[in-house]
Amino acid sequence: MQDVEPIVARAFAEFACSADAAQLENAKARFLGKSGELTALLKSLAALAPAERKSAGALVNAAKERIEAALAARREAIASAGLEARLAEEALDVTLPGRRRGRGGIHPLIRSWQRVEAIFRSIGFDVADGPEIETDWYNFTALNNPENHPARSMQDTFYVDVSDEHGQPLLLRTHTSPMQVRYARMWVERFRDAAQVPPIKVIVPGRCYRVDSDATHSPMFHQVEGLWIDENISFADLKGVYTDFLRRFFESDDLAVRFRPSFFPFTEPSAEIDVAFQSGPLEGKWLEISGAGQVHPDVVRNFGLDAEHYIGFAFGSGIERLTMLRYGINDLRLFFDGDLRFLKQFS
Amino acid sequence: MQFSEHWLRSMVDPPLGTEELARLLTMSGLEIETCVPVAPPFSGVVTGEVVTLAQHPNADLLKLCRVSVGAGEPLQVVCGAPNVKLGMKAPFAHVGARLPGGLEIKAAQVRGVQSGGMLCSARELGLSEDHSGLLALPGDTPLGRDIREILALDDHLLTLKLTPNRADCLSLLGVAREVSALTGALLTPPEVSAVPAVCDAVIQVRISEPQGCGRFAGRVIRNVNAAAPTPEWMRRRLERSGQRSISALVDVTNYVMLELGRPLHVYDVDKLSGGIDVRYGRRGEKVKLLNEQTVEVDETVLCITDDSGAIGLAGIMGGESTKADLATRHVFLESAFFHPGAIAGRARRYNFTSDASYRFERGVDFENNAAGIERATHLILDICGGEPGPSDDVAVLLPQRNPVRMRIGRAELVIGIPVPAAEMEAIFRRLGFTVTREPDAFVATAPSYRFDIAIEEDLIEEVARVHGFDRIPADPPVAPVQARTEPEAERSLHQLRERIAGAGYQEVINFSFVDPVWEADFAGNAEPITLLNPIASQLAVMRSTLLGGLVSVARTNLNRKCERVRAFEVGRAFMRDPAAPAGGLAVAGVQQPMRVAGIACGPASEEQWGIQARAVDFFDVKGDVESLLAPLSAGFERAAHPALHPGRSARVLLGGTPIGWLGELHPRWQKKYELPMPAVLFELETAPLTALGLPHFEEPSNFPPVIRDLAVVVDAGQPAKALLDALEAEKPRFVREIRLFDLYQGKGVPEGRKSLAFRIVMQDTDRTLTDAEADLAITKMVELLGHRFSATIRT
Repeated sequence: MQDVEPIVARAFAEFACSADAAQLENAKARFLGKSGELTALLKSLAALAPAERKSAGALVNAAKERIEAALAARREAIASAGLEARLAEEALDVTLPGRRRGRGGIHPLIRSWQRVEAIFRSIGFDVADGPEIETDWYNFTALNNPENHPARSMQDTFYVDVSDEHGQPLLLRTHTSPMQVRYARMWVERFRDAAQVPPIKVIVPGRCYRVDSDATHSPMFHQVEGLWIDENISFADLKGVYTDFLRRFFESDDLAVRFRPSFFPFTEPSAEIDVAFQSGPLEGKWLEISGAGQVHPDVVRNFGLDAEHYIGFAFGSGIERLTMLRYGINDLRLFFDGDLRFLKQFS
Repeated sequence: MQFSEHWLRSMVDPPLGTEELARLLTMSGLEIETCVPVAPPFSGVVTGEVVTLAQHPNADLLKLCRVSVGAGEPLQVVCGAPNVKLGMKAPFAHVGARLPGGLEIKAAQVRGVQSGGMLCSARELGLSEDHSGLLALPGDTPLGRDIREILALDDHLLTLKLTPNRADCLSLLGVAREVSALTGALLTPPEVSAVPAVCDAVIQVRISEPQGCGRFAGRVIRNVNAAAPTPEWMRRRLERSGQRSISALVDVTNYVMLELGRPLHVYDVDKLSGGIDVRYGRRGEKVKLLNEQTVEVDETVLCITDDSGAIGLAGIMGGESTKADLATRHVFLESAFFHPGAIAGRARRYNFTSDASYRFERGVDFENNAAGIERATHLILDICGGEPGPSDDVAVLLPQRNPVRMRIGRAELVIGIPVPAAEMEAIFRRLGFTVTREPDAFVATAPSYRFDIAIEEDLIEEVARVHGFDRIPADPPVAPVQARTEPEAERSLHQLRERIAGAGYQEVINFSFVDPVWEADFAGNAEPITLLNPIASQLAVMRSTLLGGLVSVARTNLNRKCERVRAFEVGRAFMRDPAAPAGGLAVAGVQQPMRVAGIACGPASEEQWGIQARAVDFFDVKGDVESLLAPLSAGFERAAHPALHPGRSARVLLGGTPIGWLGELHPRWQKKYELPMPAVLFELETAPLTALGLPHFEEPSNFPPVIRDLAVVVDAGQPAKALLDALEAEKPRFVREIRLFDLYQGKGVPEGRKSLAFRIVMQDTDRTLTDAEADLAITKMVELLGHRFSATIRT
């Protein structure tokens, strides 16, 4: 029988110099194909004597296995070289900027508004919203602020050319306080048949309007009203809740908060709430942040409740003020002139 | 109200520094807004007199003076002030003196002449901006005395921001009473004693309206010298209270008003016609007031009248015809009490306010009329001389001071902490209340100067305030823990905001009042709700659409070289609606729905490598609107809107109900509002967007879907939505999705036609669909489209 070793050596050499899959397959055919050298050799075994055939067959089969192994190795090598080449070709400049989509954002005042909501929701307050064109009754009278009362000149009111059923012109609400009365009356109505009206705990953020326009006043601004009425909600509770709110809002446990006596027709005792920061550009300065107090019994009666059995507090805070202090914004007008360069800083 | 600390301390002088005093008042409810020294710090300045005066030998504009400071030799100084005169008294800064700003006076040679000090102007001492000459001092000023002492410069001006309920503190006496109550320091009010009459001159006074004028005290003083100068001390106190000195008689009335809180008026007796009657005005009656304004009164305005008619507005302002001037000989003093309800709002109606009306409408002490008139008489006699007639004090109807009961337990409930009963009683007494003790309560009656004590809470407030708000602890309340969460099936406005911001839009907040022109242009609204008192004509009407503000935002930002604008606003629109009923959250006669609106202007995506730049179009924004609404799915139908391009605007519908608009800004407005490129806008009601319901569960199918594409050719004007709606309506149960994925016009499609391609996904939940079933479904769809829309299969 012909010696197998030279065939194996040639196969190895031809596989090694096959540069791509096609050459390799041609080379394979020359050795392992139907008319390949090794196939021919295998066929020639039939002519041998049985004893000799067995040992020669083993020899040829071993050679075939070695050639097949070499073929597989070469196939693998060619394939991986091809992948390498493709990967190199596909390489990106990863430093190019990513595909950009326009970035939007929430207005800074709404950001504060959301934060105020989150804080009060976490202690069980509801959030309500109500009309901005209001009646004189809800905005003033129901809040113990009758016509001609000097307290009315504290707020200069915008009126519109639509009148209520008494012929009084409607107005743009000067504060969110009318919603105290609206919300409480709806609440009381809802529990009309209950033995006990459940606690009223609500905040009302929203737009308000006053005839006032200068560097520190905008004719439209935002307030958040708060109201908690139950059988025993005291002025000390107001101090506790509001102080905690301010410290959470500004994330400053050493924020100084003071309550000083003031006057609002719809609360008594009434307080003005000031804060002072312990660091930063406003350090140590008392800044007015809110008006508050125990809801006046006349107002509680306008809620539809017995003022002897239901007491509690209300507060109203300026969202612009909270936002300006929070972010160090120095000009109120920036909130309303739609400058995207300013607004996008908060997105 | 502004006042001098000196003046206050003349009535009550607690052992507190200025800052502490200001803080005490602020923390008791009398907010001290500002507290500023009368003069900046300086030293070494004394009173001097020019005893010789000569021309400077080397300078035309300079004088050479010798200045006496009392003891010792007069000192030689060079002076350039134009008003320097021989015998003049003026502030003199010694060598070594330190002037405001740190300037130290040194001995110097001025143009070759020795100068040992400096004569000063008011500005050089930081007292005013006056630098026209030396600050001239009165002739009787003693020499060599520290100018700070002579001019009382170690004083502060305090500005009190008083709340409307505390009219009792609109005077030095009122503030002093409060300080005394808070500190226990002795109150020494100015001494007032009755001045005996030396003649019997009277003016008859009739009070026709006791409900308006409850009390009227009057007195005639004859033969006064109305031209006498106001003394320096009074002038100074008035000036430090922000009152300009006018004439001795007017100054005295202002002084007594500031001192005792007692408004007075002084008439010229010779200008009065007959007696005085306090009555309501008559329609058509006119009065020329002291401020030169002529007002027409009516039967709601209380007037002081004589035989000639109305001569003044009671409690507000006197009239020109009877005013006392420098030539007046005989005067009549009025010291009246007018009920707050009869005065309130009247001055405002005439667009002015006065010190008197400010006080009367808040409440003036009705027991100090006589004291006021005696005090004024005393001062007038001192300054102007004269012969007083009898003081005539008539009280017809005074406010009641009813006893008010305060339960101790109620006070604790409201305040939140117990205040000892003994302290409560002491507080009431110090505040001048008469008080009696019951086992569980106090009954207190307010003094005549307090107009804010009517109910139990008023007393509780007094206790809390004087006890000190800062002594009430700020503890978190104890309350039952109850979770309150928003319903899951609804989304909040904040969630809508986050959604639209996520699509690249920046939130803005625009004013709710706009230019009427915007309403006409963007809403076709000729009758917007109009403000009766707008602050500016371009903010005169309530918006019924948010679009105008957004167009304006786009313009200002494009002008600032911002290339791409995506902005949105959430806010209310306002419309008249006579049929709109009142409700829990609704006001009759108006609709004020919450809306969300947006604008897109500029490139579809930010300019960048790898994305072909193109302008934003209708469908970009439609996609934004659709993803804002998702999972809700809206319909869009072509319709015209005043703000929008008539061929590129759509009404947005949800379940068949219109909820808003989407479209390209009308080219006419694009030009008028100076947008350099088209803009696409949308505006939607928010209420229909919030109700979502809970997610609806369906078991996913485990059988393979069959997907077929179907392309048909229809008329170019045929809305695609109609085909989709028809397919949806007629589809077999197992068709899960029909999606329009291609629109084509051009080669291969006849002129005037378009090709629409739909991808149809079919899948059953309990078995594998056969090809035959899928084919049949598609065939039926083709037939449907062919029959209803003349659609042909595109080949």
